[in-house]
Amino acid sequence: MAKSAKKSVPARKALRKPASAAKVAKVPEVHDTPSAVVGAQPHKNLRERGTPLIEMRDISIAFGGIKAVDHATVDLYPGEVVGLLGHNGAGKSTLIKVLSGAYKRDAGQIFINGDEVNIDNPRDAKALGIETIYQTLALADNVDAAANLYLGRELKTSFGTLDDVAMEAECRKVMHRLNPNFRRFKEPVSKLSGGQRQSVAIARAIHFNARILIMDEPTAALGPAETAQVGELIKQLKAEGIGIFLISHDLHDVFDLADRVAVMKNGKVVGTAHTSDVSHDDVLGMIIAGKCPPGAIPGPGAMRDAA
Amino acid sequence: MKRTLMTMMAGALMLGVSAVAANAGTVAVSWKTFQEERWKTDEAAIKEVVEAAGHTYVSTDAQGSAQKQAADIEGLIAQKPDVILVVAFDSDAILPSIQKITDAGIKSIAYDVQFEDPNALYITFDNVGVGRLMAKTMLEKGKTEGNFAFIKGDKGDPNATFLFQGIMEVLKENIDAGKIKNVCETFTDGWKPDNAQKNMEQCLTSQNNKIDAVVSENDGMAGGVVAALEAQGLAGSVPVTGQDGDKAALNRVAKGTQLVSVWKDSRVLGKKAAEAAVAMIGGTAMDKLEGVAKFNGGKKGVEMNSILIPPNPITKANLGDVISAGWISKEEACAGAQADVEACK
Amino acid sequence: MSDPNTSSLNPATASESAVTRFFRATEIDTRMLGMVAAIIVVWCVFDIWTSFRINDEGLFGGLFLTPRNLWTLLVQTSPIAIMATGMVLIIIMRQIDLSVGAMLTLIATVAAVLQVQHLAPALGVGHWSIWIIAVLAAIAVGVLVGALNGYLTAYLAIPSFVVTLGGLIAYSKGVAFYISEGVTIAPLDSTFKLLGGNVPSAWMGPQWSWGIALVACVLIVLGIMRGRQERKRVKFALRPLWAEAVLVGLGFIAVLGATYVVNSYPWPPKLIEQYALANNVTIPPGVEDKAGKAVCMAADKVVRCTDGLIYYTGYAIPVLITLAVGLAMTFLATRTQFGRYVYAIGGNPEAAELAGINTKAMTVKVFALMGLLAAISAMVASARLDAATVSLGDLNELYVIAAAVIGGTSLAGGIGTIYGAMLGALLMQSISSGMLLLNLPSPWQNIVVGSFLVIAVFVDQIYRRRVK
Ligand SMILES: Nc1ncnc2c1ncn2[C@@H]1O[C@H](COP(=O)(O)OP(=O)(O)OP(=O)(O)O)[C@@H](O)[C@H]1O
Ligand SMILES: [Mg+2]
Repeated sequence: MAKSAKKSVPARKALRKPASAAKVAKVPEVHDTPSAVVGAQPHKNLRERGTPLIEMRDISIAFGGIKAVDHATVDLYPGEVVGLLGHNGAGKSTLIKVLSGAYKRDAGQIFINGDEVNIDNPRDAKALGIETIYQTLALADNVDAAANLYLGRELKTSFGTLDDVAMEAECRKVMHRLNPNFRRFKEPVSKLSGGQRQSVAIARAIHFNARILIMDEPTAALGPAETAQVGELIKQLKAEGIGIFLISHDLHDVFDLADRVAVMKNGKVVGTAHTSDVSHDDVLGMIIAGKCPPGAIPGPGAMRDAA
Repeated sequence: MKRTLMTMMAGALMLGVSAVAANAGTVAVSWKTFQEERWKTDEAAIKEVVEAAGHTYVSTDAQGSAQKQAADIEGLIAQKPDVILVVAFDSDAILPSIQKITDAGIKSIAYDVQFEDPNALYITFDNVGVGRLMAKTMLEKGKTEGNFAFIKGDKGDPNATFLFQGIMEVLKENIDAGKIKNVCETFTDGWKPDNAQKNMEQCLTSQNNKIDAVVSENDGMAGGVVAALEAQGLAGSVPVTGQDGDKAALNRVAKGTQLVSVWKDSRVLGKKAAEAAVAMIGGTAMDKLEGVAKFNGGKKGVEMNSILIPPNPITKANLGDVISAGWISKEEACAGAQADVEACK
Repeated sequence: MSDPNTSSLNPATASESAVTRFFRATEIDTRMLGMVAAIIVVWCVFDIWTSFRINDEGLFGGLFLTPRNLWTLLVQTSPIAIMATGMVLIIIMRQIDLSVGAMLTLIATVAAVLQVQHLAPALGVGHWSIWIIAVLAAIAVGVLVGALNGYLTAYLAIPSFVVTLGGLIAYSKGVAFYISEGVTIAPLDSTFKLLGGNVPSAWMGPQWSWGIALVACVLIVLGIMRGRQERKRVKFALRPLWAEAVLVGLGFIAVLGATYVVNSYPWPPKLIEQYALANNVTIPPGVEDKAGKAVCMAADKVVRCTDGLIYYTGYAIPVLITLAVGLAMTFLATRTQFGRYVYAIGGNPEAAELAGINTKAMTVKVFALMGLLAAISAMVASARLDAATVSLGDLNELYVIAAAVIGGTSLAGGIGTIYGAMLGALLMQSISSGMLLLNLPSPWQNIVVGSFLVIAVFVDQIYRRRVK
């Protein structure tokens, strides 16, 4: 088992590289329940574009005068990881919050397997199998880990009352895989460390057989071992055919895990590219200057003079 | 509520008319609140006299706010009435407004609630008299000795203290002689009946039920006191006083659970005040009005012209008074009445 | 690494003191223990203090710790305690309801006007169905008005402070006044009055009271056993048996103790006399009590109880209602999804919404529940007074909020317990009842109750900081 069990490491860049390189001895299994889509769409075929699992088309949303997301189009195939990149305030979180039902879009359409769907609130998104790890974690601070894990989907006894014991037992299992050192199951999550809280948020997203997983900076507060665990987790979920949007500022991570990247700048999509077709520097150029390199498909946000 | 609004609108309409009619005057009233049942009765009585004399009646409702009352009075002054009756919400805060009335050459009447301005006429029931009457009735028809409990009104209300003074004046002799023992004496927050009930319960507990009489300063609180006595099986055997002529209280008088409700017939007060206003419009000087006397029993002792109207203590013996006055129906008053109540036969 | 299921309790460390280990094992809320201790201290202080003025048979020779006073205290606490249970949920959800007192007045007025002015004339005074219709009407009005408060707060996004401030102004001195025309509505239906506990037929008597106590004890044992089973099912470590025994023991002491106290309060002598007369019971000849303690009747004399005819009151209906409400609300808050949502919304409204909870619907439901509790409270308060007046609920909102806050509810939301609020109500009523017994000047009562509120919250904050 991974020995470097530092739970809360806020500064990530420095610690990150060795972490992602480190091999975790044992890959924890994630789903106890078999996933319906396992192996359905081997990701090798990704380049032969079929129907995307999800397509967000021409999404716009503005807050007051600020166009947080401006005619953004992104798609995601089963078993694919798409890294969403961009500077602070580029609109990444806002875009995926439209998908998760947290925000109501002003314009645009969302398709799942080619069918247009209506997502007006988080309940709609969950019903469609979309699970989200929010950047802010979105935990109810005053209740314990199990209550957060099952928030909105509580297990009940035959009398219709909360089955707290069963929820705690399940919570112990899933947390054990993500964060084996975690012990504080009886405490409200406000008393947990940043990384422990993040683990709870991740546990919640992966515990309910998602088809589509949205991860908004999921490892920002995690220590190297826990980050590596999450990396393995992503790979495994991907193998099960789950589509994942991964938002991260860590290019190494993104290149390590993502099949494609989509870069946003000032609410617009600069371009999308397969990670195999572009270099770190290309992507940095997209993020910082909005320059779309030859290997990428330019979006509306690409600089005019870019090739 | 609706009725008030309509009256106010009608008043505003008539204002236009009366401005044209010669020698007709206007009587304005600034009510402190319409949230108490009684003021409607006062208003009807005032209106009747004013309109019968060919004058116009206008009014405003301060809704229990001193600020609103000040604004109301300015509005009334602008309508140039001859007399303004003021039911003051706050007897000190009202004084600048009264000064404005005087400055505008308008006569003012302190109606029911005193404010100390020598230019105003003070018309009210004899409030100290109410306390005296309660105590007197207690001595005459209730108990003359024993353990007495005193359930006083809200400590923030000067009336509670006035009443108590009157009560003590009458009982003093028996207290000094050791016949009456003051065993419980509490103020009651907000004059609330449910608070009075708790006060009485604790008093009964502390005296192990050895209470011979209860002097409650009004009917609402008497209701709470009787409820507390009832729980100890003492309702009916311990005389309880009250005032206001509340319907529930008059019924208790008939049932024998309350000794007396000192009744201040608002119609008499309204009528007397309106007659004084009409007389002043007709040119009668304030100190020449019928029944007027000098009064200086206020906090600051300012001498004012005043008309003090004696209230009527309603007991089993004279319950007929309220019924014949149309204040309460016989059915309401007499439900479950004791056999010896003449008026209910 | 160890198995995740080895322990549900945090592992005990060697350095822990016995006290800490005790509280950890029994999972007793030390904060609640503090409140109970505060109440006991207040009671003892008042008993000792009253003993200087009047010598009675309280624990310390005073008046406070007598069955009669404690019995009355429970009844007096009921209306505020009932509403406090709902206010806790409202405050946990980061809302406030300033209109509970005004709602109480409104509901009491509607129920009273209905029974006195409409049902009694139509069906005949004392008709059996009057109280049922009045109760249903009261509940309907309460739920509707509460739901209206909630709707305006949740769906029109008007802050609840404003919505219910409007309600505070409008419901009692506006709507209720309009309905009753400001008149005191009395007397109420004789069956409805039982809800107030002011008459002997609203007293359960010792048999029923012991019966209820027995049921409560059985439930305590069953509850603890079920908890053990649940833990076994998922292979969690069980509480040590001694800890379970302590919990059962404490539960039994509370239930049986309370029952013993209410069962030791005899009917007032006059009522015994009236009852005996009405039911042709012969009062045995007795010996007069020298101390003059009026507790029982013998012939027409007040005597020592053993020599005369005596009945004991047992639990009063309003107290049973309050206990039932407290249990139901505790169950709702801690054992159901509804309660879980309330806490989660209070902890982080956004997170709750993102977790798929319909927070708006929840807001409406919680305010409607508050309305329901205001209705229950209104019925108890008006039945007890045997009247509905436009001032009945005045200032109750402040006492209800104060009870919740003294009981440890955080005004920032997310934290609070039902039993805490009820104990808070009991503590406040204890203080004012005690001071009334002492016949202390009324201004002192306000000063003490006001200061107490502030001190209680201050002590609570220190406690919370220490515990961290
Ligand atoms: N609820 C909101 N109200 C108003 N403006 C908002 C809101 N949410 C986001 N914005 C604005 O929208 C823009 C995009 O924000 P967003 O959170 O999507 O950025 P981001 O790409 O996730 O940035 P970061 O990398 O810092 O997380 C920002 O300018 C932000 O200020
Ligand atoms: Mg973001």
